[in-house]
Amino acid sequence: MKDLGRPRCYASGHNFNFCAMKPPPTDPLDPLLDRWSEVPEPPPRLAANVWQRIATGEKSRDPATGWWLSLQDWFARPVFATGFVVACAFLGLFLAELRVSHVQRERSAQLARSYLLLIDPLLNTPPADRKP
Amino acid sequence: MKRLLLTLALGLIAGIGSHLAYYRFHEPAGTDTLEGQLAWMKTELKLTDRQFARIKELHQASHPKLRAMAAQVAQMQLEFGEFERSRRTTDQVDFLEFARFVEIRRNLNRACLDSTRQLVLASAEVMTPDQRQQYLALVANAEPLVGSLPN
Repeated sequence: MKDLGRPRCYASGHNFNFCAMKPPPTDPLDPLLDRWSEVPEPPPRLAANVWQRIATGEKSRDPATGWWLSLQDWFARPVFATGFVVACAFLGLFLAELRVSHVQRERSAQLARSYLLLIDPLLNTPPADRKP
Repeated sequence: MKRLLLTLALGLIAGIGSHLAYYRFHEPAGTDTLEGQLAWMKTELKLTDRQFARIKELHQASHPKLRAMAAQVAQMQLEFGEFERSRRTTDQVDFLEFARFVEIRRNLNRACLDSTRQLVLASAEVMTPDQRQQYLALVANAEPLVGSLPN
């Protein structure tokens, strides 16, 4: 009598129950992979050609792009980025000190002129008219 | 890329922030009042409190008189302009009136110079030789005061 039901599983000497495992779903790539039995030989000078292409790519890179990339590399370092921000703060302080000095000199000259006008009423008159 | 831009922005903010904060804190105060000018003199000439009090007293005492004289000088200049305009338009000069004007202006100029000289001399007397030298360099433009001042 022919057994037309689901195939039965048997375990002899082990406790494995193979019936619990489902067969994997068929992948459309499987037949193709089955046909790929022979691995072709790599072309001669493969490594040399790869390095040559890398060198060509580096040469053809735009210098501006290279500069930008190296800048990005530098700023990716936390120490450099922190130093840059601190340097900017110090530059701001330095420029502020220069500005304060400049304004102070101008203010001193202006106060000196105002003081002279204050103590000398004739300072606004033409020099020829100042003689008593 | 993003990190680079963020760092640049942070640097810009830090620079501008520190600049503005420092400048606002150290910005020299500007004032054209008598008190402001005397305070500037105190700093510039390194006056002691006692010297400053005396110099302030001298300046405050002479300030109203000098201001009144400055107003008179301005008025005399206007009158002179009026004389000049009248001479050009009518080709006539009232010589008596002009002589009176010249006399008044001469007296006013003499009074101005005397007042200024007295104030500068009195202020210079309070100062040390170094301060006096610096002060005289400051008022050097207010000639002919310098020649009459002691060294």
